Amino acid sequence: MIRIRDLIHDFLLRDDEGNVNGTVRAIDDVSLDVAPGQFIAILGHNGSGKSTLAKHLNALLFPTEGEVWVDGMDTRQEDKLWEIRRRAGMVFQNPDNQIIGQIVEEDVGFGPENMGLPTEKIWKRVDEGLDAVDMQKHRLKSPNRLSGGQKQRVSIAGVIAMHPHCIILDEPTAMLDPSGRREVLAAAHRLHDEEGITIILITHYMEEVIGADHIFVMDRGKVAMQGTPREIFAQVEQLQALGLTVPQVTLLGHMLREQGLELPEAVLTADELAEKLGAIYEHSH
Amino acid sequence: MSIRIEDISYYYERDTAMQVCALDHISAEIPDDQFIGLIGHTGSGKSTLIQTLNGLLKVTEGHIYYNGEDIDGKDFDRKALRAQVGMVFQYPEHQLFEADVLSDVMFGPKNLGLSAEECKARAEEALRMVGLEERYYGLSPFDLSGGQKRRAAIAGVLAMRPKVLILDEPTAGLDPKGRQEILDLIAGMQKSTHMTVILVSHSMDDVARYADRIMVMAGGRLLMYDAPQAIFERSEELEAVGLAAPQIIYALKKIREAGIPVATSALTVEEAAAEVLRAVRKSGKKAKAARRQVHV
Amino acid sequence: MFNSITLGQYYQTDSVLHRLDPRIKVVATFLYLVSLFVANSVAGYLVSALFLAAMIALSNVPVRYILRGMKTIALLLVITMLFNLFLTPGDVLFQLGPLKASKEGLILACKMGVRLSMLILGSSLMTLTTTPTRLTDAMETLMRPLRRFRVPVHEIAMMMSIALRFIPILMEETDKIMKAQIARGADFEDRNIMKRIRSMVPLLVPLFISAFRRANDLALAMEARCYRGGDGRTKMKPLKYEGRDHAAYAVLFGYLALCIALRFVKGMLPGFLGI
Repeated sequence: MIRIRDLIHDFLLRDDEGNVNGTVRAIDDVSLDVAPGQFIAILGHNGSGKSTLAKHLNALLFPTEGEVWVDGMDTRQEDKLWEIRRRAGMVFQNPDNQIIGQIVEEDVGFGPENMGLPTEKIWKRVDEGLDAVDMQKHRLKSPNRLSGGQKQRVSIAGVIAMHPHCIILDEPTAMLDPSGRREVLAAAHRLHDEEGITIILITHYMEEVIGADHIFVMDRGKVAMQGTPREIFAQVEQLQALGLTVPQVTLLGHMLREQGLELPEAVLTADELAEKLGAIYEHSH
Repeated sequence: MSIRIEDISYYYERDTAMQVCALDHISAEIPDDQFIGLIGHTGSGKSTLIQTLNGLLKVTEGHIYYNGEDIDGKDFDRKALRAQVGMVFQYPEHQLFEADVLSDVMFGPKNLGLSAEECKARAEEALRMVGLEERYYGLSPFDLSGGQKRRAAIAGVLAMRPKVLILDEPTAGLDPKGRQEILDLIAGMQKSTHMTVILVSHSMDDVARYADRIMVMAGGRLLMYDAPQAIFERSEELEAVGLAAPQIIYALKKIREAGIPVATSALTVEEAAAEVLRAVRKSGKKAKAARRQVHV
Repeated sequence: MFNSITLGQYYQTDSVLHRLDPRIKVVATFLYLVSLFVANSVAGYLVSALFLAAMIALSNVPVRYILRGMKTIALLLVITMLFNLFLTPGDVLFQLGPLKASKEGLILACKMGVRLSMLILGSSLMTLTTTPTRLTDAMETLMRPLRRFRVPVHEIAMMMSIALRFIPILMEETDKIMKAQIARGADFEDRNIMKRIRSMVPLLVPLFISAFRRANDLALAMEARCYRGGDGRTKMKPLKYEGRDHAAYAVLFGYLALCIALRFVKGMLPGFLGI
């Protein structure tokens, strides 16, 4: 689905007159692969390069060096630009700044309109999109009357209406309250499980990545760690050094393990922790 | 006794078809030198409540007394109140506007009519409190990183030397390290200056760690106002309004269900770890002692 | 604080006027404006007023709601009328200090007042019964011929529609920044004009920065959703004339013909009707 090879991205710094007077390396030699149907999470603190990486996947940015392939298309091929953007849809952080329509259903139709689909088809796509995120009953509302979580679901619907193969969610929950975060996350998982859409979730909330197939942790433009959630969460100190945390339950398990209890390296859920501790307790009796 | 809230209500669009009751007969007392957590959903009325406390919104019914004086009284100096009850809004960095960091922080003191030197001294003090070093003073606030911008904005309120500091979700949008740093900073400030801090948050986990007392709001009403342990004992009531106790308490409950006699009142992961170890080791010792007795 | 502005905000209900094609409403508003200047007599204004009253009745929008919106511009109206009253030369009716009110001025002021009120009521009726999206769609279609003169019609329409979407957001943001600065002791209500202008800086700088950030984000989001201008774009809700729209055009032109006829017979009208 996605293949990145030796990607480097430099931002140009300009002085007041607009002359280039330096560069900042936002992405520094990243290579990674995403297989179709995977649920991928990209973690990293603010400024680690994860959002820059996301914009490469949707051909909103182009490599300084290296290459990015989406569904077999090189993002540098100009004639494939729109096809790439259609297949790799993108949801951004700020729910207010990505809704164009003044009515929910019109916003969902924006992408299909841009693709030049006939009117009846647009309506069908809008229905599909709204159904996929369970926003059918709000379709005639103004986006200004929705909660943050609902707005983000509208944005996801707008992407779904373009029939993407992959959806990149760039910190979609950073500005939401807990219930909004749950809504958006549930929608992403549902699309992955039921529609088989490849999901790339960029976030710094550790609780949100437990259900991912594979995690990449970014730091200073590089992939600092990668693996399954269990493999990643086993490395508590390393995550903390990268400005991240682990879920409280995992941290509790880690602390107990340090104190000599025989727990596995990474405990992901409270049930798992209770079960393992129960066994230890039984044993010591 | 710093702030006394007496049976206040607030309606938006009063006397129209769209009337919304944002605050519904709330009474509470906020003493000095406290760290108070204010928890509630979006739309629970918590944003409205904090805005009434420094007079940005005038209550529809009821009274608020600051140091015994009615803040809606005729002779009450509301400008002075706003200096005493400082307010840091959500995404406070969006209010930065001056050409350099120091001038921006001086904006508040200047509005109080203080002398230039006094303004500068207060601004520098505030910037020190939020941990922004001198080399940032001359920079444009827009050249700072996200976390630094937020600190500069908080300093802008601190420079007014408030007695009460209200922060509306000061960690929103920051990464875990940034969140931790801001919360530690606020807690440290509260301890060293003894001002009252009211921290509005969505995260029970954050509030549990720092607050002396927690206010829980739902549907415009003050549902609970108590010490953290007492609040979390009522986790079912919290869940009924869509809130929850900290994750760690649920984990402890599960552990207890698994047969380990742990107390479920820990507020931090460290406390929980200590509690589990205590329970496991104690029982271990007992078991060993019992075995030994049998051998004897 | 901005909630009091109801002038011209879409009022959601169902009516014949709501269901009409937006293009005819734009055309009708324009022609109504023309008719107000054509019908330069009391009789003409009576016809225009009746027409407007009929339309308001058809719109199902409560009259009180419409009039409440008028309050915001009442001051402007009064000033315009006073200007006309005192600055038109002619037979002096009465004198206020150095200002002389003339008979001609009085007539002109009344005409101006009536014209302006009906103009504002008429155009707000259009926005009250048409969603902003449909309105911009109509503008885009009606202005299409201008494309030949290289007028970026689609872009203008898109800009209008984005502006309409973001106005409430920016209003809310203004309110928020204002409160944040008031909390820092800012005073936006100083009586001194110069001070008041200067006090706007802490409000306007953050507001502009935010607007630019939003514009930037939105541009990126639109690109990500394959937006590349108007070419090759299709419509989810294309405009299509129906039976009632043709009927509406007939009514409109009938009304306009009546106004023009009244203009020609102005001198022959009995009594005050011909003024």
